[in-house]
Amino acid sequence: MSHHRAQISINDISKATDQFRHIDPKNLKKLPGDEFDETAWTPLKDEVKDKYAAILDDTCILPIPRPRTKEEEEAFVNKFIDGMRKSFTKENNWTFLAMLETSMEHCAKCNTCSEACHLYEASGEDPMYRPNFRSEIFRRIYKKYVKKEPFAKWRHGDIDLNWRTVARLGELAYRCNICRRCAQACPIGVDNALLAREIRKIFSQEMGIHCPELHDKGSMLQLATGSSTQMTAAVVKDNVEFIDQDFSEEFGYEFHTPWDVQGADILLIHNAGEIMAWPENIAAFHMIFQAAGLSWTLSSEITAYDAINYGTFYDDVQFARTAILHASAAQKLGVKKIILAECGHAHKALTVIADRVLPVPLKIPRESCFPLLRDIVLSGKIKFDPSRNNFPVTLHDPCNVTRLMGIIKPQRDIVHALCPQFREMTPHGAHNYCCGGGSGFAIMHRNNIAEWRYFISGRKKLNQILNAFSDCRGPGEKKYVCAPCSNCKGQMRDLFQHYNLMETESMAYGGLVELIVNAMVDVKPGFIKWEE
Amino acid sequence: MAEVEFEGKKFSVDEDGFIDSFDSWCKEWVQYVKKQEGIDELSEEHWKIINVLQDYYRKNGIAPMVRVLSKVTGFKLKHIYELFPSGPGKGACKMAGLPKPTGCV
Repeated sequence: MSHHRAQISINDISKATDQFRHIDPKNLKKLPGDEFDETAWTPLKDEVKDKYAAILDDTCILPIPRPRTKEEEEAFVNKFIDGMRKSFTKENNWTFLAMLETSMEHCAKCNTCSEACHLYEASGEDPMYRPNFRSEIFRRIYKKYVKKEPFAKWRHGDIDLNWRTVARLGELAYRCNICRRCAQACPIGVDNALLAREIRKIFSQEMGIHCPELHDKGSMLQLATGSSTQMTAAVVKDNVEFIDQDFSEEFGYEFHTPWDVQGADILLIHNAGEIMAWPENIAAFHMIFQAAGLSWTLSSEITAYDAINYGTFYDDVQFARTAILHASAAQKLGVKKIILAECGHAHKALTVIADRVLPVPLKIPRESCFPLLRDIVLSGKIKFDPSRNNFPVTLHDPCNVTRLMGIIKPQRDIVHALCPQFREMTPHGAHNYCCGGGSGFAIMHRNNIAEWRYFISGRKKLNQILNAFSDCRGPGEKKYVCAPCSNCKGQMRDLFQHYNLMETESMAYGGLVELIVNAMVDVKPGFIKWEE
Repeated sequence: MAEVEFEGKKFSVDEDGFIDSFDSWCKEWVQYVKKQEGIDELSEEHWKIINVLQDYYRKNGIAPMVRVLSKVTGFKLKHIYELFPSGPGKGACKMAGLPKPTGCV
């Protein structure tokens, strides 16, 4: 706690200023290397500031229409309070009410959560990014205006509720990766990430305010076309056929992707973004599944060829609509279980949250790919040559796979078996840090959001990666960051490009299945590529 | 929708700076994006990519997989990034008048 920055109080959030806080790039946590110094933010355009209530910090993630009149300001606040009221009723929020109430009633304000948060640390400990700063605003509004506790303002602290308070709270809900590292650190079990998501839900479900990447161009497209990538069933089958042929040919290992096989054991669901942008991940999965002799299939039913469920980020209604389609496709095929490929948010969506949403007949077993992959690799069914993976490898832990679900050892059993130069990041496993793209940010480039990801949300992860390779820095030695999650890979791609890590560090990123196939004796060497 | 003006032509663009409709695409738009992207000179290779993207989009209503683009043009991904510094999605698709690719891509 070396920085003693200008202290702020909760009530400052309501002040009639144009910008609540400015993060000076000079104060950002230093990265290991002199070449990484940040200079300045690209300023938000005037038209953005005029149209939206971009009044929190140096960027604008949630596009909140700026109220134009006194009436609009009041309506904006009232809608939020109405939504908040609904959040605390069983009929409207049975999914999360219990955890919400725990988080509202039992915080001891010890601020252990601040120390756990990578945004707070990376920003140079800006008090605005304390996990509990956001929660405390939400809590004070709740106690005074919704729960109407007697003497609330004396017992819990006062808050001036105006449109700026609400707008800044909405934006603050998008200054959180929902990685839940703070929830894990909390001695009481308060979940600040859950509160951030509850705020996002009020804005989306009650006020119709959401990020376009997640809603209009996200969950709405998935429900309409089958995938947020807009691939229809015909296009996705065409693309996967291309992957089958192209990779079979290049690597001398012929494989065929089965579609819509009635009664197969496993329905495999990928994040469809992999098909478009990282087809080697798709090819690797299908090569392994074929080599292991599994009974499996993909589905061309609506949404069932895209595991993503963007409702996970911001909206329970959109969430439920998508989850039901996923489970229905599995039911229709009569598979024994769904296996989720390398997508952390899909893991959270379909294995964890969906349990609270799906009706009993749709509760088909849903599992992570990682234990299955471990069993395959250790079974002896496939021949491996680990010397093909003889380069420095580190493993990024997707928060939803590790911290949320506790799947930590299977990935490690694989890399310990197949990667002679594997090294852990510090810390890792359940104590990992988010890639910085979590909760929807990885696919956002509007305004200067990407800069916020480079400067702040991705900073801790970049720090960890560079430190994991401290013995082999520089362009001379090829390195591989295994990030088995589409969202994390998107963030890695942008981080690596911004900080020029392909050139200066010969660093590549990719999934876990690529490492497995790279070591398969029956596949031509060189599955993982650096130069491209 | 915001409006941008370039060489006497007006374009409606979305919040990521992509043209509102494929039908509004024209040579001036290409020049506008070229300037935005910081590309000095458009080569035949740039046009090859633009043409492939547009052909595929007309047939399928979305952009092709990056690997398909790479295969059809014969350009490695690294070279596509050399031609379009913002990459195939945010750079090349923008110049070709396609909408910004959606989803986790």
